[in-house]
Amino acid sequence: MKRILVVEDHEDNLQILRDLLKSAGYQMLEAHDGAAAVATAVAEKPDLILMDIQLPVMDGYEATRRIKADPALKAIPIIVVTSYALSGDEGKAKAAGSDAYVTKPYSPRQLLAKVREFLPQ
Amino acid sequence: MESFAAQAVIAIENTRLLNELRDRTTELARSVEELRTLGEVGQAVNSTLDQRTVLETIVAKAVQLSGTDAGAIYVFSNRRQEYRLRATYGMDIDTIASIRRQHIGPGETAIGEAAAQRAPVQVADVRETPAAHVLDVVVRAGFRAVLVVPLLGAERVVGALVVRRKEPGAFPQTTVDLLQTFAAQSVVAIQNARLFGEIEEKSRELAIASQHKSQFLANMSHELRTPMNAILGYTELILDDIYGETPAKLREVLERVQSNGRHLLGLINDVLDLSKIEAGQLALSLVDYSMKEVVNGVFSAVESLAAAKQLALKVEVPPDLPPAHGDERRITQVLLNLVGNAIKFTDKGEVAITAAAENGTFTLAVRDTGPGIAADQQAKIFEEFQQADSSSTREKGGTGLGLAIAKRIVEMHGGRIWVDSVVGEGATFFFTLPAQVERAAGVA
Repeated sequence: MKRILVVEDHEDNLQILRDLLKSAGYQMLEAHDGAAAVATAVAEKPDLILMDIQLPVMDGYEATRRIKADPALKAIPIIVVTSYALSGDEGKAKAAGSDAYVTKPYSPRQLLAKVREFLPQ
Repeated sequence: MESFAAQAVIAIENTRLLNELRDRTTELARSVEELRTLGEVGQAVNSTLDQRTVLETIVAKAVQLSGTDAGAIYVFSNRRQEYRLRATYGMDIDTIASIRRQHIGPGETAIGEAAAQRAPVQVADVRETPAAHVLDVVVRAGFRAVLVVPLLGAERVVGALVVRRKEPGAFPQTTVDLLQTFAAQSVVAIQNARLFGEIEEKSRELAIASQHKSQFLANMSHELRTPMNAILGYTELILDDIYGETPAKLREVLERVQSNGRHLLGLINDVLDLSKIEAGQLALSLVDYSMKEVVNGVFSAVESLAAAKQLALKVEVPPDLPPAHGDERRITQVLLNLVGNAIKFTDKGEVAITAAAENGTFTLAVRDTGPGIAADQQAKIFEEFQQADSSSTREKGGTGLGLAIAKRIVEMHGGRIWVDSVVGEGATFFFTLPAQVERAAGVA
């Protein structure tokens, strides 16, 4: 079973992803801030990371940069999830090293399609 | 003898008439000179808001026209509770410096007296007047006669106009009258300068308040979006039967929740866009793009909407459009808004999108066969929260923000947006865009 690390601090949004990913046959790991995301990525080496941007302790851009700077982790695809696309956010997400970009509110169906692009079954 | 006497009478009468004529001529010449000078003063008052320049002009003219030697304008400072020297004419630097060091409180010297009486006060000879009435420094500078005219504001005395003469003697009524006119002009100048200062201050406060408002809206919209994600997310999961099969009746209700949720999200996004633009926080993300792909992307996004209303959707893009550089996503947003509106407001006929390029500038046009827009509404619809007819807001939905946002995005690219329409004959929205945009232009 593929493992997806979800970095998100909003409980309801976490619950949606738990329900969505479970029903789609993925195992979900959780981190609630950027620093925990980096630590969990190191410890668990997940197959994919869904990264929120506005996070306590360390934001998603910085967490993405640190994970992508680690040779052991840089191959893990990171999909950045932020609140609504402002021009410029996409550029910042790319500059931080993310592989894809999804805006919030997202359609769970479309998010799942994006995940499947990176995790072919 | 009689005739000699008659002759003498005539001669005397002639001389009298001649003298009178000469006096009248002199008087007339003086009146003309006074009027001319007052005209100059009036012009100074109206042409500059620099209080000091105006007051210096007034005091100089007042001295010249009244045939005195020196003059000054004092303005009462509420904060310091004293008269402050603001403008002078014909006074040497030492005298000015000495006067500046003096404290002239309310009711003190001839200035205070004129203010208390709200009427001119004159001192014909300073040597015959109590010392407290005229400043020592004025006496030492050799002035003998002083005329003080209060500057009468609507509610209080704002200051005084003073002229000084080295010759002792009373000032004629004509001089007093003339100086009262100058005093009135000074009051206008002082009040104009004060009002202008207040307006400047208010403008600054308003600009700051407007920034705060935009920032608040931006933060607010962001905060609103997080719960929207949960509402729309759960709704979709239920409709996708993640939690088991959803009964038909419940599905119908949830679809309404979903459609209203999406509408609310659209409103939030529009408010955020606009507030970001107003706060100067919307940066263009400039990339290479193809205008043909933008048009085709919009076409596929709205194809089903047009089909649902049985409207023909046409696209006309020449094959040789130049390569483009700009904020592709924002440009797509503008075109999508125009085409979306065209479909929304057109009940039968067609909607056509055309693109053309000339001299490095794209012109995009969206033509519809809808009801058209009255001439007096055509500029208004690009303002915030305006639709051509407010009743259409209820009927057709929409935030009334889409075109305002479109206008700003186009202008940030250095382009222009407008509409061409005759009521009953449809409408065509146009916008131009430089094909190569290297940096964002300021938005008016």
